[in-house]
Amino acid sequence: MTNTVRIIINDQTYDVPAGMNLVDAAKWYANDDIPVFCYHPKMEPVGMCRMCLVEMGTIEKDRATGQVVLDENGQSKVRWMPKLQTACTTTVSDGLVIRTQTQQVQDARQNVVEFLLTSHPLDCPICDKGGECPLQNLTMEHGPGVSRMAFSDKMRLDKHVPLGDLIFLDEERCIQCARCVRFQDEVVGDDVLAFHERGRSLQIITNSEPGFDTYFSGNTTDICPVGALTTADFRFGARPWELTEVPSICPHCPVGCNISLSTRLDRDFGGKTLIKRVMPRQNEQVNEIWICDKGRFGHHFSRSEDRLEDPLVRERSGRLFAKSWTDALAAAAEALKAAGSDVAAIAGSGMSNEDLWALRQLLAGLGSRRLGAWPPTHAGAEVVAQVGVGQGTNLGQLGRGDAVLVIASDLEEEAPIWRLRLKQAADRGAFLLVMNARPTRMDDFAAQTIHYETGEAVQALLALKDSDAWKQLAEAHNLVIVAGAEGLSLDGSRALAGAAANILLETEHVGKPNSGLLAVLPGANAMGLHYLGFTPAATLDIMQNPPKVLIVTQADLLLDDPTAAHWLAKVETIISLDLFASGLTQQLAAVALPIQSFAERDGSYVNGERRVQRFYTAQGPMGQALPAWQALSRLGEQLGQGTAKLSAAAVMVEIAQNVPAFAGVSFKELAKVERQYPDVGGKDLYYGGTAYRNRGGLGIQIPTAADQGQTVARFEAAADEPPKTRGKLVIVPSVRLYNRERTFRPSALVHARVPEAYAEINSADAKKLGIQDGDTVEIAIQNAPALRVRAHVNGGAPKGTVIVPRHLSDTAAPLAVTVGEVSKAEG
Amino acid sequence: MTHILLRGRDIPDIWKYDVYVENGGYEAFKKALSLEPKAVIDEVKASNLRGRGGAGFPTGVKWGFIPQSEPVKYVAVNADESETGTFKDREILETNPHQLIEGALICAWAIQATAVYIYLRGEFWDVAHELDKRIEEARRAGFVGQNIQGTGWSCEVYTHLGAGAYICGEESALLNSLEGKLGQPRVRPPFPAQKGGGLYGEPTVVNNVETLANVPWIITNGAAEYKKIGTEQSAGTKIFCVSGHVAKPGNYELPMGVTLRELLYEHAGGVPGGKAMKAILPSGGSGPIIPATDAVLDTPLTYEDMSKIGSILGSASIIVMDETVDITWVAAKVTKFFKHESCGKCTPCREGTYWLDKVLDRIMAGQAQVSDIELIDNVAKNMQGVTLCALGDFAANPIIYTIKNFRDDFMQHVQKADIKPASKARQAAPAGD
Repeated sequence: MTNTVRIIINDQTYDVPAGMNLVDAAKWYANDDIPVFCYHPKMEPVGMCRMCLVEMGTIEKDRATGQVVLDENGQSKVRWMPKLQTACTTTVSDGLVIRTQTQQVQDARQNVVEFLLTSHPLDCPICDKGGECPLQNLTMEHGPGVSRMAFSDKMRLDKHVPLGDLIFLDEERCIQCARCVRFQDEVVGDDVLAFHERGRSLQIITNSEPGFDTYFSGNTTDICPVGALTTADFRFGARPWELTEVPSICPHCPVGCNISLSTRLDRDFGGKTLIKRVMPRQNEQVNEIWICDKGRFGHHFSRSEDRLEDPLVRERSGRLFAKSWTDALAAAAEALKAAGSDVAAIAGSGMSNEDLWALRQLLAGLGSRRLGAWPPTHAGAEVVAQVGVGQGTNLGQLGRGDAVLVIASDLEEEAPIWRLRLKQAADRGAFLLVMNARPTRMDDFAAQTIHYETGEAVQALLALKDSDAWKQLAEAHNLVIVAGAEGLSLDGSRALAGAAANILLETEHVGKPNSGLLAVLPGANAMGLHYLGFTPAATLDIMQNPPKVLIVTQADLLLDDPTAAHWLAKVETIISLDLFASGLTQQLAAVALPIQSFAERDGSYVNGERRVQRFYTAQGPMGQALPAWQALSRLGEQLGQGTAKLSAAAVMVEIAQNVPAFAGVSFKELAKVERQYPDVGGKDLYYGGTAYRNRGGLGIQIPTAADQGQTVARFEAAADEPPKTRGKLVIVPSVRLYNRERTFRPSALVHARVPEAYAEINSADAKKLGIQDGDTVEIAIQNAPALRVRAHVNGGAPKGTVIVPRHLSDTAAPLAVTVGEVSKAEG
Repeated sequence: MTHILLRGRDIPDIWKYDVYVENGGYEAFKKALSLEPKAVIDEVKASNLRGRGGAGFPTGVKWGFIPQSEPVKYVAVNADESETGTFKDREILETNPHQLIEGALICAWAIQATAVYIYLRGEFWDVAHELDKRIEEARRAGFVGQNIQGTGWSCEVYTHLGAGAYICGEESALLNSLEGKLGQPRVRPPFPAQKGGGLYGEPTVVNNVETLANVPWIITNGAAEYKKIGTEQSAGTKIFCVSGHVAKPGNYELPMGVTLRELLYEHAGGVPGGKAMKAILPSGGSGPIIPATDAVLDTPLTYEDMSKIGSILGSASIIVMDETVDITWVAAKVTKFFKHESCGKCTPCREGTYWLDKVLDRIMAGQAQVSDIELIDNVAKNMQGVTLCALGDFAANPIIYTIKNFRDDFMQHVQKADIKPASKARQAAPAGD
C-alpha cells in the first residue's frame, strides 16, 4: 500500500499516491489534461516548454501547532505562489493546491502557443503529423487565433534533414522539446541525438555514424509533439485521418509487441487495402508504448514481390505449375494417402496457434505425432512452461532490490524491447548481471559482466553459487533469468534453461509475478509451438530420420540451415505451405500452397512471457493465399478427417477445449482491455504521443506449473560436452536484428543498415590462419556449401571461436553451434 | 580608503604568492582551519555577506544548506563573469588571485568539500593559465591537496574554462557545463546545495569570485568589523564597474550605500564634454534601465534602495549614457545580446528574444509602426516570470523599461517610418514551400 497525499485541483480534493508527478495525477485522478509539449509520462520532466504552467499554492499551516489556518469564511487558507509554476516539475505533496482553468493560466497557455507558432512554419496541410499533431490540437484549443508575427520575420530552415536512413528532421517544425533526445538517452541508452547550438539556433543533430544509430529510432516520431520527426517509411505516404487502425502483434521476435497497423485503400496497391505504417499499441506489460525499428519497418514482406500467390504442383517434368486449390489439395492428399503414417511436419514460429492446431490435427488423423518446431535452436520453452516468469509479470516494475540475469543471448539483437525494458530496470536500481561468451551491447548497462568460454554457459551458471554475484541474485526481491542459446547445442540450451530454473527454484523465485525464467526463443510464436506439441527435439529427429512425406509450414529451411538440402534429399515428398516462393518451394516442394501472412488474417500468438495475444485482419490476401489453418483444415477434409473449420475463432474454441494451457482462452477474452497507466492514446495526443490506445485486447498470460501451485522438480542440468574441435574452430551462429531473412528483406529502407555477411574471428586465430581484418574467408562445415564472408578481427570473438551471424547473405550460415574450417578465400 | 578586494591597487605585486603572504595572506585560512567548520559558517552568516553575483543571497546561509552527512561535496566558483559592463571579477583574478583561492578554500573547509572548481568564461584563457600557476603555489605551500596543514582534510582546486556562453553564469547551467553537458539551466528543486542538485549530483556551493574574495577579510577581522562597512542590510564593500559616458570608467571598490551621484560624479569624473546624463543601466543589460534624475542619482547603492527605485543592484555594473544616446538603439543592442545568449531551453525566452530582435530591427530600420511598440512591450511582458531561469526576465527588462521610461525615443523611430506597402513586403519574402 503506497502512501497517499491529499491535493486540491480546481477546488476538488483528491487522494493521490505520494511521489506522483502532478501532470500524471491531474490526468489520472482529476481527468484534467494539463497541456504539455516537453513532458512525457515515460521520461523525467525538464520543464522546458512552459505549456503546463498552473496557479499553485499550499494550504497554510500554523508553524507552531501544525494546524491548518482558516480564513474568515472558515475555509482553509491557501498560500499562493507569486508566479505560475510548471506542473510537470512538481511532485504531489500534502496540501498542494492548483488551479488549471483560470484566466491567468489560460493566458499563459495562449502565450506559449503563440511563442511556439512564431517560428513554426504552419505547413499543416503538407505535414505528416497534421490531424494527429499535439501542436495543432493545442493551438486549436489554446492558441490566439491570429498571428502577430510578421511573415517576413519567420525563420527559414532546412525541411528535409536525414538524421539517418530511417528518420527525417524538419528543422522548421521542431519546437526544441528534447523528447527525442531524452528518449534516446533515458529510455534507450543510445544517446545518439543531441542539441546543437543555442537560442533559436538550437537544433537536433545526430552524433553517431551512421546517423541516428539505434534500433529504436521510430519511437521518437511517435512522441515528437510536432511533425519535426517523420519516418522514411511513412512521410508523405498518407494522412492520418484516412487511416484505419487494425490491432496486431509484431511477428518478428518473442517479445510480441502490440502494434497497430495503419491501413488505407491505396493507389500503390491497385486501390486495395495496404499497410501504410506500423505503430505501437499500448500494452504496459509487454511493450509499454514502444516498438523497435524492425517491428515498425519490417511489414513490407506482407506485400513483397516474392509472395507465393497461387497453389503450385510439380509435374513429372520437374516444373511447378499453378493449379486451383482443389487440384493442389488433391495432389497433396494423394501424396499423404500413399505415405500412410510416415508423415512429419515442421512448423515455423511465425505460424499462429490456429495454424498449428490444424496441422497437429491433420497429422493426428494420419497417425503421426512427429511435430517439429522450427528453427530447432532453443529447447527452453518446456522449462518456461514450468517456471517461466509468473503471471502478472511486468518488466517495467523491476527496480531497486530486484535482480536480472541475462545469459547466452545478445538481447539487443534477439529481443530489442526486452533489452530496452531491462536497461530501464537497471536504471531503476535492479542488479543486472550479464553473462556471455563474447561482449554484447547489454554489457553497457550491466552492474556486472561475466565472460565464459564458448559453450560453457551451463558451467558458468553452475559456478555462480561461489561468486560474489550470488548473494545479489539469491537475496533479490524478484529475480528474472533471461536465457538464450547462443553457442549452445539444443541439448545445451535445455541444460542451460534447466540450470537457470534450478537457481530460480532454489532461491524461491518461481510462481510469483516479476520472477522466473524468460527464454529468448526464436520467432513470434515459439511458446505456441511448445504448447501445441511442436518441439525442436522432434525436428532433430526428423532431420535424422526423414519421413516419406514432410509438411513444411512457413519455415525457410534452405535459408536457415546449410545442411537442409543434404537431409531433405532423403524425403520423398515435400508439401510446403509458404508465404514466399522460397528456395524450398521452388526447388524441392512437390506441392506448394500459398498462405496468408499475419497481416491478412486473424489469429493468435503466444509470446515469450506466455501471453496469448490476438491479431486482426488488416489487409486483403495476396493472390489465392489462404490462412494456413484453413488450407490444412481443407486438406484434412480431403483426407476424410471431417469438415473444415470456418474461422480462426472456431479453431481457438477447439484448442481451448483440448489443450489445458489454453483453458478459458477465446478470441473474445483475448480482446478484453482495461484502462492502463499512463493513459495514452486519447485525444490528448500531447501527453503520450501517437502510440495507440489498446482496443484490440491485452491478451491472457498462460500460468506456469509453478503459478498453479504445482511442485516443480529440479531439472537435469548437466553441462554440455564441449564440441570436439580436432584442430578446427568452433563456429557459433549468432542473431542480427537487421538481416536478409525473407520477412525483412523487402523492407528496402533498412538495407543500408544490414551488414555485409561477416564472421568475427579472434585475432590469435586469425594470425595463425594468415587472415586480416577485412579479408574474404571461406567457412567449411560438414554437409554444407562453403560460406564466403568478410572477416572481422576486432575483439568480437573469443579464442578458438568464430561468430557467424545468420541470415546476412543468400548462403545459409550454420543453424547451430558446430565445428568448421576457416580459410582465406582467393581473390 | 584601503581596499578589501582590489588590494592590487594598494600593493601592486600582491598577485605574487610571497607578497600576498607577507601581507597576511593565507592567515585567514589557517585561522579557519583552527575553527570548527560550523563556526566558520556562523561567522560568515554573522557578517551578513551577500552574494555579489547579482542575486544578493546571504552567503553564510547558502553554505549552511549543505548537508554535512554527504561524503562528497563541492565548491564551484563562478568566474564566468559575462554580464554586460561587468569586469570586477577579472581584476580580482588578475591582480589578487590568491585572495580568491584563499576564500574558496575557507568555503571548502566550512562545508568540508572535497574539491573546488573554478569555472571561468572561455575568454579568460590567459587568466585561467595564470590562475593555475597561483594554485600550484598554494599547493606547494600546503594549502591545496592532501592532508591540508595537517588537518587530515584534503581538497583539490581545479580551473575549468567555459566555451563562451552568458547562460553558464547561471549556477545550474554552470554546473551542467562543468559536467561537460550543454549549458542549460536545470529544474530546481533540487537546488545545488541539495543531494541530486549540485555538481555530479553532489551538494555544491556556487559562489561568485567577488563574494569569496571577501571571506578572508571577514575571517581575519571578524563579522562585527565587516558589518561596520556599508549599511545594515548591505554590508561590506562592493566593486562598482562603471562604464559608458563617464570621464574615468573603471572599477571602484566602495562601501555599499554610496550614492550613484557620488560614484558617477566624484569617483568616475562625471559625463565628459559637459553633456547631461540621460540614463543609467545599473546592472548591465539585465537590470531595468533608469532615467538619470536627481532622485535616482541620490539613491544609495544598496540591495534595498535600488529595488525601491524600480531597479536592482545586481552585479553593480553601471553603464552611463549621456543625452546623445538613442535609447531605442540601446534596447535593440541589448536585445541582440540576449537573443544571442538565450540557451533555447524555455519557449518564451528562445522564441521571444528572436521575435523582439526582429521587430526592433524593423523599428531601427524605420520600417515599423506605433503598434509595433505595443507589440514588443506585450511580447516582453509575456516572457516575464514564466521561464526556468532569470534570463527570460532579463531579456524582457530592456524592452519593458526602455519603453516605460523613454517612450519618446521609440516614437521618433516609428513616426518618421517609411513603411513599405504590404504587397511589396510579401514579394520580398521567400516563396512558401
